[in-house]
Amino acid sequence: MKEERYFSTFQLILLALFAALVVVAKIALRLPLQMPGHSGIFWMAIIVVAAGVVPKTGAATLVGLTSGLIAAFLGMGDLGALNTFLSYTIVGVGTDLALLLLRDLDNLVVDALVGILGHIGKFLVKWAFGAMTGAPVGFIALGLLRAAVGYVVFGALGGLLGGLTLQALRKAGFFAYLEEKR
Amino acid sequence: MTQKSRILIAVGLIVLIVSLVLGLEVLRRQRSVLTRAGDEVVLQPGSIPIYVDGSLAAGFTPEGLGELETVSFVDDEDGKTQEGWMLRDVLGLYLNTAALDSDASIMVSSSSREKSVTLTWAEVDDPVNWVMFDVSGRGTLKLVSVLERLDVRDEWVQDVDKIGVVTR
Repeated sequence: MKEERYFSTFQLILLALFAALVVVAKIALRLPLQMPGHSGIFWMAIIVVAAGVVPKTGAATLVGLTSGLIAAFLGMGDLGALNTFLSYTIVGVGTDLALLLLRDLDNLVVDALVGILGHIGKFLVKWAFGAMTGAPVGFIALGLLRAAVGYVVFGALGGLLGGLTLQALRKAGFFAYLEEKR
Repeated sequence: MTQKSRILIAVGLIVLIVSLVLGLEVLRRQRSVLTRAGDEVVLQPGSIPIYVDGSLAAGFTPEGLGELETVSFVDDEDGKTQEGWMLRDVLGLYLNTAALDSDASIMVSSSSREKSVTLTWAEVDDPVNWVMFDVSGRGTLKLVSVLERLDVRDEWVQDVDKIGVVTR
């Protein structure tokens, strides 16, 4: 008897493409904003779309893990490979955990909250690394609240953008096409 | 459980996480101040010490930045805008920079990154060099410049926690 795999090859290919897209977006798309966490608008959108296109627990984690590996090998980030890897991975893990609680990606409020919870994971990793490495405690307070607000706002915007993209894909018949592909 | 309840739980979770981080950071700052007081170095919470010829001269506080003009340049490596405050302006807040010789050395260092850079006052004072602090995403200061030995990410001094001036 053929064993049923959790992710099909087609789904794995889709998730790998989303992971690559996260890294490409981080490198290529730049917003002229001096706000911490502003890149979340792109990558939370991509992660939310990935979780919507492959609606299985672990899909976002897989995208985070894969993009983290790619980004770490490309030497992205200025706090070392481990920090980069964990930052990307935790975004996926956070998104999956948020989806376990919130479930329904058809609701734009839920999309925004999923975006925030996923993105705030990255904020936690950055902060924890700062605390563990003994980064100066002084000026961190100057920007920590600003950083937290930035991560929340851009995570929400990214989640919303992802939700709107999913709605557009649904209208365009993408999900019906995916059903046919099964 | 209704979707509304789930949404409320998620909002509560976000508030809890952010509050927890900010609260822990306040505790961390308080502990740091106590440690420094034990070493007989009295600095205000959140300050970066400025040493002149080995003696503590001042503590550079975030509040002081409000008095300074914000400047920016686009770095060649990443094409990112570096925005913050010129090091010469920061030093000018606490020291009589007019009395500094052009060959006086300014060392900016980060103990957590084990990185430091030493520049002359002439280099720091020349606005063309853009020797300035940018606030990182985590809220710490990083020293950046267009000077050849400080113009790429690997050379920047992130998480700055000490400034030393040697006048002699």
